[in-house]
Amino acid sequence: MKTIKVMLNVNNEKVTLQVKPYETLLETLRERLSLTGAKESCSLGSCGACTVLVNGTPMRSCLILTPEVEGASITTIEGLKNGEKLHPLQQAFMEKGAVQCGFCTSGMILTAKALLDRNKKPEKRDIVKTMSSNICRCTGYKKIIEAVEETSKK
Amino acid sequence: MDENLKIVGKRVIRSDSYAKVTGGALYTADLKLPGMLYAKVLRSPYPHAKILNIDVSKALKVPGVKAAISGFDAYGVKWGVFRYTQDHAMLPTDKVRYIGEDVAAVAAVDEESAIEALSLIKVEYEPLEAVFDPVEAMKDTAPQIHEQYKNNINIHIHIEVGDVDKAMAKAYIVREDTFKAKGEAYAMMEPYAVVASYANGYLDLWMPNAGPHVRAKALSNLLKLPLNRVRVRHINSGGAFGGRSEVAPGDLVASLLSIKSGRPVKLVLTREENAMCSRQVHDIIATVKTGMKKDGTIVAKEYKTIYDGGAYSSTGPIATSIPYYVYEECYRLPNVRYDGYRVFTNKGIRGMYGCHGRAFLAGNEAQMDLMAKELGLDPVEVRLKNGLTAGELTATKSKIISCGLKDTIIQAAEKSDFKKKWKKHTRNKGIGMGCVAIMCGFPMGFRSGSSCYVKINDDGQVTLITGMVDNGQGNESLAVQVASEVLGIPMDDINLVNADTEVTNLDPGSYSQAAAYVGANAVKAACEDARKKIIAIASKKLGVPEEEIDLKDRVAYSVKTPDKRMPISWITREAFFKGEPIVGTGSFFPDIDLEREWVSKPEGQMAGTYSFGTSVAEIEIDEETGKIKVPKFIAAHDCGRPINPMAVEGQMEGSVGQAGIATIFEGNMWYKGFLLNPDLLEYKVPLACDMPDIETIIVSSNDPKGPFGAKEGGLTIRMNAYSAIACAFTNATGMLFEELPLTPDNVLKLLEKNKGGKR
Repeated sequence: MKTIKVMLNVNNEKVTLQVKPYETLLETLRERLSLTGAKESCSLGSCGACTVLVNGTPMRSCLILTPEVEGASITTIEGLKNGEKLHPLQQAFMEKGAVQCGFCTSGMILTAKALLDRNKKPEKRDIVKTMSSNICRCTGYKKIIEAVEETSKK
Repeated sequence: MDENLKIVGKRVIRSDSYAKVTGGALYTADLKLPGMLYAKVLRSPYPHAKILNIDVSKALKVPGVKAAISGFDAYGVKWGVFRYTQDHAMLPTDKVRYIGEDVAAVAAVDEESAIEALSLIKVEYEPLEAVFDPVEAMKDTAPQIHEQYKNNINIHIHIEVGDVDKAMAKAYIVREDTFKAKGEAYAMMEPYAVVASYANGYLDLWMPNAGPHVRAKALSNLLKLPLNRVRVRHINSGGAFGGRSEVAPGDLVASLLSIKSGRPVKLVLTREENAMCSRQVHDIIATVKTGMKKDGTIVAKEYKTIYDGGAYSSTGPIATSIPYYVYEECYRLPNVRYDGYRVFTNKGIRGMYGCHGRAFLAGNEAQMDLMAKELGLDPVEVRLKNGLTAGELTATKSKIISCGLKDTIIQAAEKSDFKKKWKKHTRNKGIGMGCVAIMCGFPMGFRSGSSCYVKINDDGQVTLITGMVDNGQGNESLAVQVASEVLGIPMDDINLVNADTEVTNLDPGSYSQAAAYVGANAVKAACEDARKKIIAIASKKLGVPEEEIDLKDRVAYSVKTPDKRMPISWITREAFFKGEPIVGTGSFFPDIDLEREWVSKPEGQMAGTYSFGTSVAEIEIDEETGKIKVPKFIAAHDCGRPINPMAVEGQMEGSVGQAGIATIFEGNMWYKGFLLNPDLLEYKVPLACDMPDIETIIVSSNDPKGPFGAKEGGLTIRMNAYSAIACAFTNATGMLFEELPLTPDNVLKLLEKNKGGKR
């Protein structure tokens, strides 16, 4: 099969890959780079479990073909820690009890990170609105919203 | 010891959360084994058809394909939870009974080759007449889905207590209403996946499951392998909610493909397959007749409840019973007749659900409010009057051990200013209350109990080994927290080895609310056994009596003279020197009536204990659009003693979404056996913006036998949140719901009916 050469910067590391023309970014990350923190849940962009940051913007990696993002910087949940130090959102999600089954967690944290990167002091309603892009079936969202709020106040 | 708890009762960070926030937690689809193949399943396009022939030979010729199977490669065993419900071959050879049923499968070196091979499998069918409505299915003229079940009646549960007819005749008011509810989708975030790896006569399996031991037993039967050759291993699970309790067709498919190919096989379902071909929730039609005295006392209940059971038995007798039992465990029912029918239809396979039975439970509660109104009584008082208390027996003679029902009702009512708001409702604003009780563990014969082992390693760190399984609710952290309390060792020092059937001993699993009460009790017992051994050595070494010694912060010390102390790691080494390493074992078996049987003897002690809960919802109805909003929700739950209050709150809040907000959103839609909304665009799951302002209240009743007084945490809200919404609708409109969910179209229909009527 014909493959396409793609260069990406994934979690601050340059990678060059030969991918299938129809390969999604989610498949590339999970299958080629073993970055399985992004999850496949609905495969049509409605749930946000596969969210990664593409040049800082949260995107559904199940809807993006890898060749489309040639040259982009990708941040996955695995790239969020600074050395051994957790990102404040990761810390807050743990402390506030915002994690249950964990399948939505990486998408939630990355969505929240992008929000706080573009708006350091969001109102609660901004947080609720932004986090409504992702589905969680376990928590009822209360502790997720609290974790993002808490982080924004630090 | 209980009054000086060090860590139990504290809001601790869950032990599993670090891996989950860093992306390191592995789920089944994340696994990659050397030589692993990818599987795809060919599914039935017919709701009901005879299988004339299945030919997989051409599929095997596709390059990269290593195995292709159908039911003819299986061992002719049918699965059923009970001896009398063994009707599910998982891969049928006689006929298909629902659209999407597993018919054949292939395993190939990549997904593309597997998909290509599927298209070359030839199946000859002879389509049969199908039936999709359970009421139609019960008629003599309906097609028979299974030969052995006449009129497609899979299960009939009949419960008769007291003299219902006499009591109804004497009641001051009697009311009979029928309520319907669509089955919901589990919509767990992780679609079902399985990895099976067969080598040298041994089969290893990874899949999201809510009971590794029951899963292994089912597969050992289906594959005719001894139990110790079928190893269900630990893996994270992306939600279950009742939908991962039973063996899945995919478990058998992946196992057969691995046995055939001699290589590991991974099968991952799509979201749509997960909705159509893994478990579904029962649609229910409940007719509720209630007789009440003038003072609001319930004198009699008569029920006819029909459960749309889909194509196979599944947990049939249990699913047909539970909505009734959680109601009789909550309220005093002196005379009751319950007829529950589970009926086969040509729809997907069904299972239990955390929110199972909403038509029945919300129907009972909303009807009670309408009767209270007619009698000029307050719903809070009616609930308090009829609510069971500790020491009482349920209608089917199960004793209530500890009971915080009254406190949950009073606290939820006070916090919400219920009585005032209920009286002052307007026609588009209402408030409602729902109550329920939950059994902490179903009776499951010898599988009702749990066992645990613990070993203290030579550096003083601990390995805890239990069959308990976590589907996201926090059972793993719960076990670690309990062990930490008993052993005086930080949670971080404890390595949990769990949910692996070759390493751990029997545990009932997490689907019958047994984890906190049964599993954690076994953990506590095992750790107490180890603690005794630690203290015996410390007593000798420190020269102080055993009863004077406590364990805290990795140290054994004298409570009277705290400077007499030594690290637990030294004690452990001392034990190794003696050739008696510190190992603790413990088990817990709940006090239940093992003679009890769901169909033949529905009487006797059902569970070791019960939890209780009350939900209060406030709603607003937009009369133009029919849309309901839920601005405020208060949930009060008696969980005995919360081991980790933060985790219990999380369960309660999640329940407000999955059961409460689902009341206005969620329902599976069907057209002739086709599921119309199998994905997450068409099936609406509540989002953050749909959630009310939630307040949770934890009521402690301190159960005498629960570990540190604990009972299950959160499920009561999952089984009464819909009642609160339904009752709030009744409060506002003066009407009962007819069918859930209360989507705008449903609401407009009801409001239209009500026009001109009194409100």
